[in-house]
Amino acid sequence: MVQYGGDEVSALVIDIGASTLRAGYAGDDAPKAIIPTTYGFIPQSTGADVTMADAGPEGETEPPKAESTLYIGQHGPSVWRADMQIGNPVVDGMINDFKPIPSLITHALRDVMRCNPEEHPVLLTEPAWNSVANRERMAEIMFEEFNVPAFYIANTGVLNAFAAGKGSALVIDIGNSTASVTPVVDGFVLRKGLVYSALPQLVQAHAKHTLVMPSHNHPQIQLLPHQLISNKTPVEPGQAPRFTIREDRLARTSPSLMTYYESREVDEWGQSVAGVLDQGWNDQAAAARHARHYEFPTGFNTLFGPERYQVGELFFTHSRELAASNPHLPRTIPTLISQALAACDPDMRQVLMGNVVLSGGGSLFAGLAERLNNELSRNFPHVKIHAPGNPVERRYGGWLGGSILASLGTFHQLWISKEEWNEHGKAIVGQRCK
Amino acid sequence: MSSGVAVNSECLDTFQELKLGKKLKYIIYAVSKDKTEIVVVKTSKSADYDEFIADLPEDDCRWAVYDFEFEKEGGGKRNKICFYSWAPDDAKIKAKMLFASSKDALRRALVGIAAEIQGTDYSEVAYESVLDKVSRGN
Repeated sequence: MVQYGGDEVSALVIDIGASTLRAGYAGDDAPKAIIPTTYGFIPQSTGADVTMADAGPEGETEPPKAESTLYIGQHGPSVWRADMQIGNPVVDGMINDFKPIPSLITHALRDVMRCNPEEHPVLLTEPAWNSVANRERMAEIMFEEFNVPAFYIANTGVLNAFAAGKGSALVIDIGNSTASVTPVVDGFVLRKGLVYSALPQLVQAHAKHTLVMPSHNHPQIQLLPHQLISNKTPVEPGQAPRFTIREDRLARTSPSLMTYYESREVDEWGQSVAGVLDQGWNDQAAAARHARHYEFPTGFNTLFGPERYQVGELFFTHSRELAASNPHLPRTIPTLISQALAACDPDMRQVLMGNVVLSGGGSLFAGLAERLNNELSRNFPHVKIHAPGNPVERRYGGWLGGSILASLGTFHQLWISKEEWNEHGKAIVGQRCK
Repeated sequence: MSSGVAVNSECLDTFQELKLGKKLKYIIYAVSKDKTEIVVVKTSKSADYDEFIADLPEDDCRWAVYDFEFEKEGGGKRNKICFYSWAPDDAKIKAKMLFASSKDALRRALVGIAAEIQGTDYSEVAYESVLDKVSRGN
């Protein structure tokens, strides 16, 4: 049992997001282990070889059976394996399937960080909309399966606000699958003002559409990952690519793995090429920007002009045609903000707008912070956006906040110890971690 | 969620002195060096607002209580005790986290605060912005 004496607790901090799981030592300024939350598994077949037809329609994967091996970490889903399918336990920012969670945490702590969780208190983060059952399940996993000496679960919204030095703030967190707006007042989440939507997924789908559909300045682009390409020869921009596909592999690539690889290619394209105009959509402004060059794994390369800004525009506005064709579009960032504010006290709104905290990997989208500032300044008299310039701080803001909190000597008294867990059971989680 | 940092009893005594004694103008609070409790760093009787602002460092966090005096339009002099949370952008992230998560303990201990100011740059704690805030309401 660890003695909570001085400032040396060597606690561990774990932050589970939709794209990556971050783990590291409290007090560090960046997580030691960053592994994909997505994992691979090969379904246990009953005799006959599994073929493509058995794998089910695209996007649907059967949950792995308990006995099948999970492929996790850097050598997990990104390494091609015959018939491997892809799973991800996080849906809408919340853990939806707890089965792979112990394996993911074990990999991060034991294989990557090489530490024994039985010797370290563990602080976990959770989204503001996490359910009671979910956080209790998490505590159970940590105490019963990992035998941790102490545990705490903290809200990412509050951690982000605190890490920016604010007790009250409007936290805008744009992740890989979910964008959320969380009003934090005096260190507590204002639940009625909490809103989130699957906006990043829409942006990604649009980006994929832009690439896959032939347009006036590029043909249909094949989003094949390098894992499926055996060789290629350089071609001039805009020319058809010359490459040899690995037919042997292609035949045994499951639809879910293909979808995962494609989304990774789209993400990569988005991160290097896509952006958002800082003053709102304007055809001329978009055309006036420099076109950017990008090369896909197939060798196809071309210049992307205004279309790279249309992708980012979706964070802020949905075109009329798009809104008409789909009434259930994920809400845009300005809509989320106004809905969050509408639920808050009028006196509070001004304070919140003066203390906007931007966080999450998706917020690093080129030009997003400037655009947000312009949009908000138009509607509110005093707007101040706190957006850390350091990408690590922005991407892992929640983890970083947890890291500092858990490293404080005085925080020891708040940990739920193993003894308390044994004595009080699940109820203590809700009492202690508010 | 809080950091568990305690409030030294001196913090309260000094606050009572300001509230009831009417001699002190402002108090500056901070977390002690060993990061275990909140202590008083400075008290002052100076009515010069600029002097108070100068006590808020550019690159570190502080809390402050200021006895704000102003003329109400057509209604004579008023006094309001303001609580300041000072967390400038240039402060270290560790200090920001520590102060933000400890604030509640101090804030709850002080009874009789009329307004709260959350400041990250000098414009937010400037005399005019605070005046604007306190003169609203009543």
